[in-house]
Amino acid sequence: MKKYLPLLFLLCAFHLSAQTKFSISGYVRDSTNGESIHNARVYNPEFNIASNSNNYGFYSLELSAGTPHLLRVSAPGMSERTFTIILAKDTSVNFYLMPSAREIKPVDIRVRKNDNVRTVDISTQTITSQTIREIPAFLGEADVIKSVQLLPGVTTVGEGATGFNVRGGGIDQNLVLMDEAPVFNSAHLFGFFSIFNPDAVKDVQLVKGGIPANYGGRLSSTLDVRMKDGNNQNFQANGGVGTIFSRLTVEGPIAKNKASFLIAGRRSYIDVLAKPFLKGNLKESQFYFYDFTGKVNWNYKRDKFYISTYIGDDAFSAQNAFGVKWGNSTITGRWNHVFNKKLFGNFTYFYSRYRYNIEFSSKDANFNWQSYIVNNSAKADFNYYANSKHEILFGGQSTYYVFKPGRAVVTNKGDKTDFSLPDKYGLENAIYIAEEYNPSGKFSYRLGLRLSNFMYMGQGKAYYYKPAANEGDRRVIDHVKEYKSGEIISQYTNLEPRFGFKYELDKNKSIKGGYNRMVQNLHLISNTAASVPFDVWQPTTNNILPEKADQYTIGWFQNFGAKSAFETSVEFYYKSMKNQVDYVDGANLLLNEFLEGDLLTGIGRAYGTEFYLRKTSGKFTGWVSYTLSRSERKVNGVNDNKWYPNRFDRTHNVYVVANYKLNPLFTFAANFVLSSGTPTTFYSGQYTVQGYTVPDAGSNARNNVRNPLYHRLDLSITYNRRPRKHWESNWVISCYNVYNRRNPFSIYFSTDYQNKGSNEAIRYSVIGSFIPAVSYNFKWK
Amino acid sequence: MKYLFRITYLFFAIVLFSACEDVIKVNVDPGPERLIVDAFVNNLPEKQVIRLTKSIPYFAKSGSEPGVEGATVAIVDTTNGGLKIFNFSDSGNGNYIFKPNAITGDTFTVDHNYVLIVVEGGDTLISLSRMQPTAPIDSLHITAEDGNTVGFKKGNYVELKANDLKGYGNTYWIKTFVNDTFRNRVFDINLAYDMTQTPNNQDGGEFIWPIRYGAINDFGNPGKTGTKVRVEIHSITLETYYYLNLIISENQNGGLFATPPTNIGSNIFNFNQQKKRAVGGFFNVAAVSRKEVTLP
Repeated sequence: MKKYLPLLFLLCAFHLSAQTKFSISGYVRDSTNGESIHNARVYNPEFNIASNSNNYGFYSLELSAGTPHLLRVSAPGMSERTFTIILAKDTSVNFYLMPSAREIKPVDIRVRKNDNVRTVDISTQTITSQTIREIPAFLGEADVIKSVQLLPGVTTVGEGATGFNVRGGGIDQNLVLMDEAPVFNSAHLFGFFSIFNPDAVKDVQLVKGGIPANYGGRLSSTLDVRMKDGNNQNFQANGGVGTIFSRLTVEGPIAKNKASFLIAGRRSYIDVLAKPFLKGNLKESQFYFYDFTGKVNWNYKRDKFYISTYIGDDAFSAQNAFGVKWGNSTITGRWNHVFNKKLFGNFTYFYSRYRYNIEFSSKDANFNWQSYIVNNSAKADFNYYANSKHEILFGGQSTYYVFKPGRAVVTNKGDKTDFSLPDKYGLENAIYIAEEYNPSGKFSYRLGLRLSNFMYMGQGKAYYYKPAANEGDRRVIDHVKEYKSGEIISQYTNLEPRFGFKYELDKNKSIKGGYNRMVQNLHLISNTAASVPFDVWQPTTNNILPEKADQYTIGWFQNFGAKSAFETSVEFYYKSMKNQVDYVDGANLLLNEFLEGDLLTGIGRAYGTEFYLRKTSGKFTGWVSYTLSRSERKVNGVNDNKWYPNRFDRTHNVYVVANYKLNPLFTFAANFVLSSGTPTTFYSGQYTVQGYTVPDAGSNARNNVRNPLYHRLDLSITYNRRPRKHWESNWVISCYNVYNRRNPFSIYFSTDYQNKGSNEAIRYSVIGSFIPAVSYNFKWK
Repeated sequence: MKYLFRITYLFFAIVLFSACEDVIKVNVDPGPERLIVDAFVNNLPEKQVIRLTKSIPYFAKSGSEPGVEGATVAIVDTTNGGLKIFNFSDSGNGNYIFKPNAITGDTFTVDHNYVLIVVEGGDTLISLSRMQPTAPIDSLHITAEDGNTVGFKKGNYVELKANDLKGYGNTYWIKTFVNDTFRNRVFDINLAYDMTQTPNNQDGGEFIWPIRYGAINDFGNPGKTGTKVRVEIHSITLETYYYLNLIISENQNGGLFATPPTNIGSNIFNFNQQKKRAVGGFFNVAAVSRKEVTLP
């Protein structure tokens, strides 16, 4: 890679006056594989101006003509490089950076020195693929969502639970994007693993507050998972063999510097390993999950094209008698176009589907049940670099949804009975505009406005219910009205203002604040402690109103130590939520045509403070975070109309993530989690009706007790074998739950329904012991 | 469905992650003592019992609730403005009994409205119900399984041949008696909403397989030769249907996919608003169809 000179001269004409300004724009890329680098910083120290590359690696900057300017280009995990340029006209330059040689010297894992203080971003965390791989993982499998669950403000209801909760929001309130396409269930095997193949992930960004206007549709957060583009310099393969699954990623150029591809796959092999131990009918059992990611991209002059796809499934079946299967699939097509030096455009089309299928069969009877949510979406995003201080972002998105809440067919001795619920359709349109003001001074801001509209449409049936007899009661159907295809049943338009600011006290300290209003028109209908893959997504309808949230965030950011190696922040947030979906007692959520009558509406509030300390460079890196928070809900008809804690509310959360690189060969890592128990309801009394014991929880006891404290320590050792010319590999030995703690997921009550003995309280632990694992990872290049 | 799901889940959890459950001691607030009225009566020519008890703390011995004696218990037929009274006499230990007489017309009738009245300790409790028509049973059919159907061991099984009544919203409780003993496990509660188990527009036809076969038999275990199997279809009100569903879900709740424990309501109201004595229990007047068969 010596061909890249440390200094790049763009010698142009010298006769221009210094007052004239020209722009310099282009992409920032990784010189080893051609990957575009987003959020790289192109910085001119002389005038203290900078441009951060956008999601596609594009930057644009204005500089005065005729004089030499220094430009420092930096990015996370990359060695900073300095270039000198002289501009005589608007110029297009692509900058190439080298990864910091991590095996040789201690790394600097932060985005850039003091970047956390300097940018307007608040409540935002980026985790690189490298960091994800260095966190001790469950069964040795590096995992995106598990890593996200170690960030401040993020919790989960427990081990094995799908998804994550951000600042007191439900799991359906996170917009999880994979190359811009939303995924509706981010978990394999209920929640033990996430669907993202860590070898194919470039990085992950979680935005919890001050959410920019280009994101919308969910209340609590945006988790943007960006996949690698594929190496456009050399062929390369990464892979690993683990306890649960094996994975392989192959990438390489189709045309050097111009086009590349990436394909990545994983499959679990529990069933393969278990086969010799299964007898008789069970031999036909299947239980596996897999995922496949494929991507191609090519550059052509001012344009860049990408196509990426993901397919993943979990499947279980036994004895040919029952089978269940669920999974996501997405396909995304993107086109980046540089209109001119100041205007960059991205056009995306995606298709995303989540579906599940359950089948039982016996000699004479068969039951088949399918459900899915499909969305087709087109969007356009523009960056307009007005000048070195102002950047305008604008764009729009249109998404067409098809919901199939349940197609169920029962066949009995040839008789077919169809239980299917009618399909539902929705069209969501949004436009946004945002301005980022980044002067050289201490104050900068981001101002945004998003206008969203949701139409609940035919063809379909709209249900109208009688008011409930008492608050909290099930509403009974009044009448049903049929709508023709394309007819609007109900629609909602919402204005979503967004705002963020930063005030730098000095180069190591700043105060930041943010406000966002979010609107959500998709609702995951689930009232279980942990979400199940069979939960159904519902659109906003004439009965279900759009969920809304207003969030206020303020934070103090300060760095200290040599090279500002320690980053700290304290953030406070307050979020109020409207139209939260809740359920009547004994709600029937599956295959229920009158589901909406079983739903209640409430308000929510969540508030808290997050302390964060991160050491970003040296042999020893990692972070400590402490979150003190509360998430509550108030629903008329529940808990005597009083506030009660949400089921995922955890008051205290401590996360410690530590990584120590002893030498190029050995790395030690640890993480520690300590969380207050989630709330639950305990029964108080009992009585008998018709010979059945009826447990009595009372009417004002919702979530009145806490499950016991959760804590856990995980350790791992990575042994990097000495790299050879084409082959690098390492062994990871890890242990989850090192001190063998039996953390209760929940305490539930076992009522003695036969009415002969006593009722019992049962502690249920998903993981009852420590879990050691070994995995082997390799890279061929 | 949830049951199946939990099995699948537990399989993985236990095999892979050593999931475990153990019984622990917890302290719970005993909550208010409720006066419980267990009033499921029907139109069969048999003695009808209403039971009055007091609720007990959750960890007390189940079934040890004390009976409440000395109350006045009656059901009033208010159909067409009439006031026909059925008196239930105190026979001790919280049991109140009424013996119907079809000849004199002293019995409950389909499509009539009933009011339950309980006067006890200065409180007047009332409840309203209506007797819905029930689905007639055509026959009980005996099926011999050869052991090839998954989940069914070789042997003889009973299949209920019956059709849901025409019209939406009929709800039934189908009870199985083995040698005259009611099979009363919670997971045996067999409820129908029209032809299926939940409201979904399936009306007027034969009850679906899980209702007419799966739940009639004892989880795939065949009956012994000479066993008398009786099946009864009780009509229940929609609110009773939901009430029984709550009992099922609350009694089988737990684990990762537990729903929050809910407050199981009641259709019994205390007329005395000042005293606010907590009450519980349920009132339903059922029409019953039944058939019996002896297994070969």
